[in-house]
Amino acid sequence: MEHSHLYAQIDRYAYTNALAKCSPITKGFFAFSALLISVSSPTAIVPAVIFVIATIVTLYAAKIPLHFYVDMFTLPTIMLTLSCLFIALFFGYGEPLAEIRLPGFIWIIFKNGLNLSITTFLRVEGALSCLFFLVLTTSITDIFITLRKLKVPRTVIELSLLIYRYIFVFLEVSAKMNTAQTLRLGHSGFINRIRSIALLAGNLFIRTLEQGERTFIAMNSRGYDGNIHVLEDLPKPTKKAVGCIAIFDAALLVLIILTINIGVI
Amino acid sequence: MLFKLEKLSHRYSDGTLALDEVSLNIAKSERIALLGINGSGKTTLLKHLNGILKPTSGTVYYEDTPLEYNTKALLALRKKVGFIFQDPNDQLFAPTVKQDVAFGPLNLGYSQDKTKMLVDEALKIVDMSEFAEKPPHFLSLGQKKRVALAGVLAMQPEVIIMDEPTANLDPRATSEILHLLLKLNKDSGITLILATHDVDMVPLFATRLYILNKGKIIAEGIPKEIFSNAELIRSVNLRSPRITHLFEVLKKEDNLPIDKQLPLTISEARKEILKLLENKNS
Repeated sequence: MEHSHLYAQIDRYAYTNALAKCSPITKGFFAFSALLISVSSPTAIVPAVIFVIATIVTLYAAKIPLHFYVDMFTLPTIMLTLSCLFIALFFGYGEPLAEIRLPGFIWIIFKNGLNLSITTFLRVEGALSCLFFLVLTTSITDIFITLRKLKVPRTVIELSLLIYRYIFVFLEVSAKMNTAQTLRLGHSGFINRIRSIALLAGNLFIRTLEQGERTFIAMNSRGYDGNIHVLEDLPKPTKKAVGCIAIFDAALLVLIILTINIGVI
Repeated sequence: MLFKLEKLSHRYSDGTLALDEVSLNIAKSERIALLGINGSGKTTLLKHLNGILKPTSGTVYYEDTPLEYNTKALLALRKKVGFIFQDPNDQLFAPTVKQDVAFGPLNLGYSQDKTKMLVDEALKIVDMSEFAEKPPHFLSLGQKKRVALAGVLAMQPEVIIMDEPTANLDPRATSEILHLLLKLNKDSGITLILATHDVDMVPLFATRLYILNKGKIIAEGIPKEIFSNAELIRSVNLRSPRITHLFEVLKKEDNLPIDKQLPLTISEARKEILKLLENKNS
């Protein structure tokens, strides 16, 4: 089946990438430790290093196509650039970097403001690369089973599991209804479009209730006892992999200490 | 008797009488087809067989014991009586094929190891092993149907109930499902009960069939008997299999010397044609 949505593609890569069989605990450990280091790093160099390494792992080890990876970064990077521009222009104190003379007042851009802006930019990009690594390489099933191991409440996991599955069912249903509406000119003109969307949303809501009912019956037919039991066969994290990541994290921390006084500019 | 229905009636809460004093018997290892148009009560009837619906009046017997509707009894019944729904999306709720098939056995309290074995076996039977790790939304409808069947097979049932197993499937997927079902019946003696309006498929599948109309059973018998009564079939807005219809026309309009028992399938038709040719030559 074809999916044009970005999130459906993410889901596909999560199941099919070259690291799909790798332990989700290892991948999660790598992603979250690097993410934490990236966002809490006071220097700009460490997040940059994390970004480069996470990107290399995602592109070369997990074999995610470059164009898709770039697509994922586009939107958040645009938002981030705007915010960082704002920080660069309006934040900072101390040593001025540039002065812009406007009629009536002088606009000063500070050196540490620009530093902060660039550091923030890299921190976020570093953190994003870790997060994208995790979502592109780890299937939702593995994440659920890992969460269960980490003693997250059953109800939360079971709800997420069902929601996850039926998102795709209802995506399909809403796409079909949308096409059906378009074919009968339901989306010609603004008022028509609003009305059609309202109808679709209302209808979809009723459908979800019916689907819930039917799924509940189907689950009962297979002996549902109020708990969803799952097969727990995850690849075990290897000591070697976990050790390597721990050493990597330690190196990053040392790098922070070494570069703490080095500004970008 | 495996199943016995005694004057079973069901009235939905909106007042529609979906089943009206239905009585029927199903023996072990039979392949039963319930034939009827949309809204004739087939699905409602099926839903009584594993206790999804409770009769308004009348009784359902399984192995000569009346069904009980408490949680424990229903669980025991549903281990033996598997149900495959018309829309596999109703049934496949887990994030991967393997997890979905494992749902039933784990509910029966089987260990992780035993479940894994049953899941592998069930996926192998329906020829979906290579899709074990895939999420259901990657699959085609025919594949989803087979996974739904695996989900039931993994519970090792004695009976499999199916609502329109071939609806919306392409010819190849239809024939695959059909052969799979026949093989299960032959190899493991699993009793099969299905609801359908696919008259061309019924003679290939059923050892016996019931015709439902407006919540009542109006005919019962082997496919040959039932389909030789064309008036009856038409009176409930169904039709004969295409092949049968052709022979009916040949007999009536062209006065060909054809048996009263019209052929229902290609292979029967072939025999009949060869016989006609032989008689003509001699």
